[in-house]
Amino acid sequence: MNPSWQLLLVLIISLEISFTHRLVANLILIVVAAIVLLRYHLQFKTYLRLLLIPAIPATALAVTIGFFSPAHDWWFAAVIASRIYAYVFLGATVTVTTTPLKLARSLEQNAHLNAKYAYGVLAAVNLAPRTISAIKTIRASARMRGIQLHFYSPILYFKAILLALRWSDQLVLAMESHGFVENQSRTVAEPILTSISDWLIVVMSIVILQVLLIAFP
Amino acid sequence: MQSKRGFHLRDIIFLALIGILFGVIYYGGDFIYNALTVALTPIGFGPMANDITMGLWCMAGPLAGFLLKRPGASFIGEFLGATGEMFLGGQWGAGNLISGFVQGVATELGFTFTGYRIYNWFTVFIETLTTTLVTYGWDWFRNGYDHFKPSTIIILLVVRFISVFLFSGLLVKLIANLVDRTHLIKN
Amino acid sequence: MHNIEINNLTFAYQKEHPVLQIDQLSIQLHRFTILHGPSGSGKSTLLKIIAGFLPRHGGQLNGEVQIPHHLQIAMMFQDPGMQFALDTPRHEIEFALENLQIPSVEISSRITAALKQAGIQHLADRLFTTLSGGEQQRAALAVIIAMDADVLLLDEPFASLDNHNRQILIDSLVQLQKAGKTIIIADHDLTGYHQLVADIVSFQEPIHRLSHDQAEFLLDQASTQLIRTPLPRKNDQPAITLSNYHLQKQDQVLIDQSNLTFMRNRVTLITGESGSGKSSLLLSLAGLLNYSGIITLFKSPLNTIKPKNLGKKVGLVFQRASDQFLNVTVAEELSLSRRQGKQTYFTHERLNSWLKRLGLYKMDDRVVYSLSGGQQKKLQVLLMLMMGQPLLLLDEPFSGLDRQSTANIVALIRACQEHSGITVLIVSHQFANLSHLVDYQLLLKNHTLTYQGRNQA
Repeated sequence: MNPSWQLLLVLIISLEISFTHRLVANLILIVVAAIVLLRYHLQFKTYLRLLLIPAIPATALAVTIGFFSPAHDWWFAAVIASRIYAYVFLGATVTVTTTPLKLARSLEQNAHLNAKYAYGVLAAVNLAPRTISAIKTIRASARMRGIQLHFYSPILYFKAILLALRWSDQLVLAMESHGFVENQSRTVAEPILTSISDWLIVVMSIVILQVLLIAFP
Repeated sequence: MQSKRGFHLRDIIFLALIGILFGVIYYGGDFIYNALTVALTPIGFGPMANDITMGLWCMAGPLAGFLLKRPGASFIGEFLGATGEMFLGGQWGAGNLISGFVQGVATELGFTFTGYRIYNWFTVFIETLTTTLVTYGWDWFRNGYDHFKPSTIIILLVVRFISVFLFSGLLVKLIANLVDRTHLIKN
Repeated sequence: MHNIEINNLTFAYQKEHPVLQIDQLSIQLHRFTILHGPSGSGKSTLLKIIAGFLPRHGGQLNGEVQIPHHLQIAMMFQDPGMQFALDTPRHEIEFALENLQIPSVEISSRITAALKQAGIQHLADRLFTTLSGGEQQRAALAVIIAMDADVLLLDEPFASLDNHNRQILIDSLVQLQKAGKTIIIADHDLTGYHQLVADIVSFQEPIHRLSHDQAEFLLDQASTQLIRTPLPRKNDQPAITLSNYHLQKQDQVLIDQSNLTFMRNRVTLITGESGSGKSSLLLSLAGLLNYSGIITLFKSPLNTIKPKNLGKKVGLVFQRASDQFLNVTVAEELSLSRRQGKQTYFTHERLNSWLKRLGLYKMDDRVVYSLSGGQQKKLQVLLMLMMGQPLLLLDEPFSGLDRQSTANIVALIRACQEHSGITVLIVSHQFANLSHLVDYQLLLKNHTLTYQGRNQA
C-alpha cells in the first residue's frame, strides 16, 4: 500500500478511537493490524516487544479505572487497555512496512510535502548512530573537568545543542554540495505509485470502522 | 538561521537533530516510565508515571521556541523530534506523530499567547500552563481520565504541572540562557 | 576565461577579524591545485567561497572572485561521515541526481557508471555507518562523478584515510583531472601528494602561488622526518600496558599489538601516517572507543575503572577545542578548572603569568566559541593541564598554532610535567619544535607501535 495513504489511514483511525469508547472495534483493529504485521515475518523479538511494551501502561490504566475509580467500571478499563494496544499495533504497521526513505519519497511525491522537510528530517535521522557516541563524549569530557552530568543538567543539553548547530551547518553544506536547492523542483529516481486501490482501502476501512463503532459496544 | 520568516533546511535539520539528541539523553526515560508505572499501579496511581515524565517529553518544543524566537518554532521542534523518534523505533510507532502534534500545539500556544515578543520567565509560566492543560486535556480523552476519582484527577494535574514546569520550563530556560549567551544563534 | 580569478579579497565573520585576505590569485582550470598552509589559515574558507557557500551562509566578503559561468562545483568534506543526507551510497547519488533534475530514466545508468568508476559497486547498498572513512570518501567521490561536476573542491579529504584508500582516491582524482576536471585540494600535510603534478598555493602570508620549482621542492621534501629520541631506559616505570590489544573501526584493523608499555612520568610522542589510528588509540585509552584485549592503567585494568574515577585519572585534550568547553566565557572555564583542578603547579601568580604569555589575559568576558582557533587551542590545553590528571592524552595540541604559540604550549606542558610528574602522550602531525618536550617516540606503522631511536648506555 502507498506509504502516505497508509499513514493517513492509521492517523485517522487512531484519532477516531481516541474519542470513542468501543471495545469490539478496538479488538478488531488489533486483530487486523496483527495480521498485517505477521505477514511481514519480523523477528520474534520485535513481536515480543510489541506485545510487552503496551502491557505496562495498559495494565496501569485498567487497574486504576477498574479497582480504584468510583464506578469500578471494568468494561471501560478493557476499552482503554485495548485502545493502547490498537495504537501501538496500528503505529507499528507503518514503521514496519516502509522505510524512512520510502515514506519521505512518498510524502514528497504523493502528499507534496516540501522536499526540505522530507530530506532534512531524513538527514538528521541518518546521523542518529553518531549521536549516541557524541553524548557519551560530552559526558566524558565533563568528567575530565570534575563534573558529573545528569539528565537534568543544563550543560548536557547545552552541549548537545551546540553539536546540533555544528552538524546542521555541515549537513546543509553537504546537501547543497550535492545539488539540493530549497524550493527548486526535483526529478524522481524511484516513483512511488499510488493507485485507485489505495483510495478504496482508505475509504472502505473508514466506512467499516464507522459501522463497527455504531453497531457494536 | 537566516531569516525570521519560515524555516530553512538548516533549521529543519537542527530541530530534528535536537529531538534525536534529546532522545538519546533520556534514553533511560522509557525505562523510568515503565518502572514508575509498575511501582505506582498497586496504589492506584499507575497513570501518574505519564504525568511525572511529561515535562521531559515536551522539552524540545519550548526549547526551539526560546532559541529561534519565531512563530511555529516550538510546534515544528516538538513535531520533528517526534517524527525522528518514530523512525528510530520509538515504542508508539506512528502514534508518536499524534502525541508530537498535540504536544507541539500545547507548547506553541504558550508563545502565541505572549505574542512571540516576550521570552522571559513570564513566557515560561504561560508555556508551562498551556503545555500542562493541553496535554492533560488530550490524555483526558485518550487515557480515560474522566473515569478516575476526582482526587486522583487533581493530583495527576498538579504532578503534571510540576513536571512540565521543572523540565519544559525551568530547565529549558536555563539551557536557552546558556545558548543565548554564546550568540551562536542569530535572530 | 580559463582561470578562477581572485582580486583584493577579504573575508570576515566579525568585522575587525578577517579570516582570509588575498591580494591576487588565479587558479587554473583543468589542473590540480593544492592550497597548502597550517590549519586556521583560511584554506577551507576559500574553498567555501569558491563553492558559493560563503558569504551566503554568513560572513562578509569584499573584493572579487570570478568563476567562469556554468561550472558545476561540488565539494568533498574533511569529516567523511558528515556529508551524506541519505543512508547508502546508491540513495545519496539518487538524491544528488534528483536535485540536478536528471530525467528518471537516466538516473540508474549514471549511478552504475559512477559506482564503477569510483570502484565501489560492492558498497552501493551498504549503510554509510558501516563504511570506513576511506570508503565513505570514495562514495563521496562517486556522488561527485555521477553529478559530472566540473570543479572538485576537497577539504583535507585524506585526514582520516588509511594509505590504501588514499592511494585509490588519488588515482581516481588523477583520472578525473586528465578528463578535464579542475581539482582543488586544501591540506596542511603534503605527504602522499608527491606523485602529482600540481600547482601549490601557499597560505603563509601573503597568500600566493608558488613557482613550479618551489612546488616541486615542497612536494619532494614532504616525507616524514623523525626527531631524535632515545629508546626507553631500563629503570622506566610502566604507566599503561597493552596486551593483545586490538583496535578496529568498522571492518578496518587499526592496531594489533601483542605487548606495549607507555612509560610513567615521560612525554611520549606518537607519530604515524594520517588515518593509521593514532587518535583512535587515545580515544580507547580514555574509555571512549571499544577495543579488545587488556589495557592496564596504573596497575588496574581499564575496563574495571568506573567512568567517574577514570575522569580523575585520564585527561584527553580533544582534537576539536570546543569539545572541551563546558561553559560560555573564558572566566567561567578558568574558574571551573581552578575549582576542580588538582595540578598544584598553578598558583594564582603562575596562572596569571601564563595567561599573559599565552595571550589569554584579561579576556574574562569573551565567549570561548568566539575566540580564534589558536586562542581556543591554547585555552583548551591550559584548562586540561590545570586538571592535573596523572595521565594526559593530547590529540593534535599544536594544530592552528604559530611557532611562538607552539613554543609556549611546549614550555607549559614541560613546566607542569616537571613540577608534578605526569605521564603525557601526544599525537601530532607536526613536531618541528618538540625536541625539548619529547622523551620517547612511538611510530604507528603496519598496525603496530614501535619505539624509535637508539639504545642508551
